[in-house]
Amino acid sequence: MLGVTLPASTKIRVWDSTAETRFIVLPMRPAATEGWEEERLATLVTRDCMIGTGLPRRPGGVAT
Amino acid sequence: MNGIHDMGGMEGFGPVKPEPNEPPFHSAWEARSLALNRAMSYAKIWNIDRSRAAIEEMPPHDYLTMSYYDKWALRLEKLLIEYGLVGADEVAAGHSLHHPKPIERTLAAADVNKALTRGSYSRPATTTARFKAGDRVRTKNIHPRTHTRLPRYARGRAGIIECVRGHHVFPDSVAIGQGENPQWLYTVLFEARELWGEAADPTLSVSIEAWEPYLEPT
Repeated sequence: MLGVTLPASTKIRVWDSTAETRFIVLPMRPAATEGWEEERLATLVTRDCMIGTGLPRRPGGVAT
Repeated sequence: MNGIHDMGGMEGFGPVKPEPNEPPFHSAWEARSLALNRAMSYAKIWNIDRSRAAIEEMPPHDYLTMSYYDKWALRLEKLLIEYGLVGADEVAAGHSLHHPKPIERTLAAADVNKALTRGSYSRPATTTARFKAGDRVRTKNIHPRTHTRLPRYARGRAGIIECVRGHHVFPDSVAIGQGENPQWLYTVLFEARELWGEAADPTLSVSIEAWEPYLEPT
């Protein structure tokens, strides 16, 4: 249990990496971040984002 | 092996509580455990699959209570003894008692980056892939006493080939000294209801990477 709650409309896909194939998680870009530089966007990315178990922080807000 | 490591679908462990500001190592011996394990991987006396199997074979109580690098350190001891590089008496004594057995590939400081880079497990195709994307398959209901990468929750289940990943080293063979025996590897997609029953989340699907010997056509 990683404490993330998603709306019922979100499709959940679990990738069980049982071989040596590895996958990269691309965190979903939050709304209202158009035109942000890479460095600023990176401030929204958490550890959980990078393992696919959390959403990025909202601009000016806290991690959800 | 139906061991404690195969936890997919198990419940009751409680929430995952990440440690705040977790350091890479909590003490120097953890770094040493990593370094020794990596140095011995570089020596290529054993392979990654035998190495994983060595952790999976730990007694369930140890597996559940030991820290990550504790398990790595114990795994190293076990494999060093198994491959005749260190005696059990030497591990107990904490120092060398016998003439050391030479190894061909020793890790030098200049090779550390190479040692930390993942190797490729892809091998040239020697057969034609039996399945293609979109094919319906069923995983076999196998329970080998030895190493396998087919998780228990996904045995005997109907799924769809989503992607052909290439021709890869077969862990079930290489882990038990039967050679790389490369096989076609596929991403197989299952609906959650196929795995977890009617009450499963309808928005959930799960994929595994499955070698061809795990699969049969439906």
